[in-house]
Amino acid sequence: MIGELMDPRKTFGKAVTEIAKENKDVVVFSADSGKSSGFGDFIDQFPERYFECGIMEQGAVGMAAGMATAGKIPVFCAIAPFVTCRPYEMVRNDMGYMKQNVKLVGRNCGITYSDLGVTHQSLDDFGLMRLIPGMTILAPQDPVEIEEACKAMIEYEGPVYMRIGNPKIPVLFERKPFVIGKGDIIQDGEDVTIITTGSCTKDVIEANEILKEAGIKAKIIGLPTVLPLDEDLIRDAAAETKKVVTVEEHYINGGMGSMVTELLSDMDGVTVKRLGIPNIYATTSSNYQELLAYYDLDAKGIAKSVKAYLGK
Amino acid sequence: MADKKRVANLKLQAAKCRQNVLRMVRAGGHGHVGGALSSLDIVTALYFDKMNVDPENPKMEDRDRFLLSAGHKCLAQYAVLAEKGFFDKEVLDTYGKLAAKIPGHPDMHKLPGVEANTGALGHGMSIANGMAMAGKLDGKDYKVYAITGDGELPEGSNWEAAVAAAKFGLDNLVVFVDNNGLQISGDVTKVMDMRPIDEKFKAFGWAVKYIDGNDMNQILDALDSIPEEKGKPTMILCDTVKAKGLSFGENKAGFHFWNATEELLDQAEKEMAELVSKLEKEKEELV
Ligand SMILES: Cc1ncc(C[n+]2csc(CCOP(=O)(O)OP(=O)(O)O)c2C)c(N)n1
Ligand SMILES: [Mg+2]
Repeated sequence: MIGELMDPRKTFGKAVTEIAKENKDVVVFSADSGKSSGFGDFIDQFPERYFECGIMEQGAVGMAAGMATAGKIPVFCAIAPFVTCRPYEMVRNDMGYMKQNVKLVGRNCGITYSDLGVTHQSLDDFGLMRLIPGMTILAPQDPVEIEEACKAMIEYEGPVYMRIGNPKIPVLFERKPFVIGKGDIIQDGEDVTIITTGSCTKDVIEANEILKEAGIKAKIIGLPTVLPLDEDLIRDAAAETKKVVTVEEHYINGGMGSMVTELLSDMDGVTVKRLGIPNIYATTSSNYQELLAYYDLDAKGIAKSVKAYLGK
Repeated sequence: MADKKRVANLKLQAAKCRQNVLRMVRAGGHGHVGGALSSLDIVTALYFDKMNVDPENPKMEDRDRFLLSAGHKCLAQYAVLAEKGFFDKEVLDTYGKLAAKIPGHPDMHKLPGVEANTGALGHGMSIANGMAMAGKLDGKDYKVYAITGDGELPEGSNWEAAVAAAKFGLDNLVVFVDNNGLQISGDVTKVMDMRPIDEKFKAFGWAVKYIDGNDMNQILDALDSIPEEKGKPTMILCDTVKAKGLSFGENKAGFHFWNATEELLDQAEKEMAELVSKLEKEKEELV
């Protein structure tokens, strides 16, 4: 139901558990991270397909890749920096270079671990993952999309990184099949294109209400897949509105905004404003909303930045 | 056996530091109390009895170094640094607040007395090695102390550090393993059994002591005999109780991270205040 609030981790764990009932190749890896990734039911139902490795993320990625060579479909979920930054070379070589069918899932992405600080926030995962040739990056925007993304990710053969948040998020859209690489026009408009992904989409939709009041008609594009980028959709929109804003819970350098900027760099008269976290070690607060507001990534902040960019 | 007065004083300091932990939980509403409270007696003994540190001059060149490889235990370090006078106790009331100097994992650039930015597990031992190597290189006689969790030990980086510490003969290095038997997913020996931890470190070239890490007498005895063996790094394997001092939380995996309720926090504060009064009396009786 649109508007219903759901826990992204539990939604994710349940979705994978459902798929695993049919698909016996699905196995789950944990680095002391399984139950907190929503795998409680999976552990009960498929104990022989659940591999608790303890706190050893590099080993877990390596073992997952090894299992994938024998046709298994390993899913490894933990706090985002500990499946991306920590075991990066294993992800690049053993999953990427070896083209192995491993599904990495980073949870508590962005600054959702708002008070645990730099070591637990993940503001560089898009950047790190996009540099691995052949990698796919998913960032579903609502709980239903998380469920559909799980199906798509497991059906697809190849290395995937998916990023999910932590606080409950509302259902934003009607259910539809997840097509990897495809973005959606959430709202049409001609003054500016706002491109959003993952956890930011809810706030962009809210920001849009403020923009409407100011007479700004925004074209809003949602990207549940960050890599491969939906290039045609983005180029067409940019050709139309000329002005483009990207919004992500990530460093403004190296992530989706950078990818969009690089894509549009050969287009005359097109400019891009990237919203996100500046390239610093972000600060902390136990209140996630407060921290989003601090970095102008809540609805108000996003609206303010878009208005300023348009000179309104 | 350590002197009775010395022990009584440290027990009292530890109880006061536990009050500081509760004060931060009161401010922030939550915190990684389990591992903080299991290791707090060790941290108290180090700062109040062993370490050469100066709260007025936290960067003093010849100071002993202390760091938490398990950075989530930071409430213990914040509590002890505050009690020792490294910063105003009012700072404890900012736990969980925007841009606090005492975030959920320690930051050396925010708080005096913090030596390393840990939080991602498995970094501390190598950093501690480096500090100890620099000490040797400069001919200084400071010591480096680090604490790791037991759940943290499967991280391979710990074993890189373990073999290197032996090779470089770091007898100025002491690593405590806070062996509280629990991690997020429960029983450490079921998640990934690292036993025998002492034998493993011995095989890597360390001198190893095995103590009760919540018993001040045993902590002091172990600290008084360092280096355990000349030329070797020392590992002190400490059996501890997770959430030690929270009567309702001890030995419970659910208290790894505590989202405190008003009622239980009230109870904990009351019990800790009673313990402090009791220990004050005991200390006075010895004088
Ligand atoms: C590299 C890394 N992986 C995962 C985590 C998440 N994490 C934080 S604490 C913890 C459990 C630690 O258990 P243990 O070392 O036994 O600590 P203690 O019992 O002393 O709290 C985990 C998995 C982390 N901080 N760093
Ligand atoms: Mg433990």
